[in-house]
Amino acid sequence: MSESKFEAISSLVDNYHAPDQKSEQIIDEMLKDEHLSSTWQSYHLIGDVIRDEIPNTLQLDLSAQIASAIAEEPTVLAPVTTNDNLDNSLKAKVIQLFKPVGQLAIAASAAGLMIIGVQQNTADTNEIITPSQIVQTKPLGGFANPVSFNYQQNTNYQQSTKSQQQAVITQRIEQQRRFQALLSDHQQQIKLSAVQKINAKQANDDRVNKKPELEKVN
Amino acid sequence: MKFFLSFIIVCVASLLVSLSAVAADTEQAKLSLERLSQSLRQLNFNTSFVVVKNNQAEPYHWLHGIVKNQSIANNMKNEDGIELEVLASLNGPRRDILRVNNMVSYIDPEYAPYSIRSGQINGPIPTVLGRSIDILEGSYRFVSVGKNRVLGRAAQLIRIVPKDSHRFGYWLWLDLQSGLLLKLAVITHQGKLLEQIQFTHLEITDTISENLKQLQTTELPKPIDITAKQKTTDLAWQVNWLPNGFEPIKSNRHRINANKQAVEFMLFNDGLVDISVYVNPSKAKQRAVEFANDGATLVLNQVINNVEVSVVGKIPLETAKKIVSSVSFNRNVVNP
Repeated sequence: MSESKFEAISSLVDNYHAPDQKSEQIIDEMLKDEHLSSTWQSYHLIGDVIRDEIPNTLQLDLSAQIASAIAEEPTVLAPVTTNDNLDNSLKAKVIQLFKPVGQLAIAASAAGLMIIGVQQNTADTNEIITPSQIVQTKPLGGFANPVSFNYQQNTNYQQSTKSQQQAVITQRIEQQRRFQALLSDHQQQIKLSAVQKINAKQANDDRVNKKPELEKVN
Repeated sequence: MKFFLSFIIVCVASLLVSLSAVAADTEQAKLSLERLSQSLRQLNFNTSFVVVKNNQAEPYHWLHGIVKNQSIANNMKNEDGIELEVLASLNGPRRDILRVNNMVSYIDPEYAPYSIRSGQINGPIPTVLGRSIDILEGSYRFVSVGKNRVLGRAAQLIRIVPKDSHRFGYWLWLDLQSGLLLKLAVITHQGKLLEQIQFTHLEITDTISENLKQLQTTELPKPIDITAKQKTTDLAWQVNWLPNGFEPIKSNRHRINANKQAVEFMLFNDGLVDISVYVNPSKAKQRAVEFANDGATLVLNQVINNVEVSVVGKIPLETAKKIVSSVSFNRNVVNP
């Protein structure tokens, strides 16, 4: 019930209602009901505040509340331009920007995807074992140099005893060596696998004398 | 309201334009990649690049040239002339790769120099870029994205986008003028940069450079015959899951040079990415999954019931985990 009454009061305050039976009824009710009459009062006050018509001597402690309400309002970013000339020049620029729209749109969408992707990626870094960033190899020869190896650990380092720490360090070094050995062997095997590819190609060459560009891997 | 409407119209319009542009982009991307492969085979170039990963930069010098119709070419039946190629690592101990047509020589501090028969250098640059990209079409899409300025030149950005989330994407910046590579980046499905190759110098000449002339007269080490080792070995295990498009290249038993560990080994390839799988007995009974990243390359291993299974390759962590857990055993690896 009160919702519709408040609405009626509000429109009365804003002078949107021609006096009719309904508004008279509301006025009668307001006179009887203290709550409704106070609503009428505060609506007027709000109206005054919005129109900046409050007297300086106003005793009600509304200003603090209004200030906080304003602080909570989202900032309006769109500038209101009244200057017609400025408006026109802006429009012209916008049109120019959108003329080469094809590639711009693709690039923009790609950039958008990338940003989302990066955010997702940072979100799921709570792996038990985080990938280390610093294993350095020499891929050219397929033989790796000694590495500085970063391994994030999830055991409680401080609580462990010295011998345990030592064991962890030894383990770490072993692991590092293992990874390094695998990496360099991987590179080496790739190099040696090229043999098979070229053998297949030579067989091809012998048959149809194909050009290298047409060669397929296996 | 008016602004909102016009915004929507712009959005819809750009979406339509993008969609219609996709088909054309794919065609253009393929053309650019074909041109790249041709340029890599046919141009005389002298170039430098750095591989950037793990906050480190490794510089390389890369030379390529073609010698046409010389007497030395008579015993080589290559109608395009002799291809000469040198790739040298510039920091640290000397590591060079030399290529004369189908002979590749590796000069490393760890080994005596040796040669193998191969038509391509296996360095930081994916070898498929010098060949036909057709083999990639099953697993990757090619997208021409836009133009950019790289190494002071106008460049076309081409993206090699995996069709599934089991592998990484490759972004290539190609010189509009020569078609050659100017920059390459390996990007995760989420758009994170893992490693990149940035060219720092590019020179294209009509005649081959002095270094390559020297290579032409240099006697290369004798090729080692490893075809016998290439034969597919009967292993005690098999990999039951790999991303679509990965084919077994070879399988063997060998010792890892660094720690003399005897391993059973399989190599897989999807045209762009190599995956190695190692299986060997381990002293440890169990060990949880451990892994490390070297740029885009992931090394992962675990021990279950005294059997160590390892995966190495430029693949995402989830893919490697899935591969490791798909390995099944036909017989006992520890005590065969």
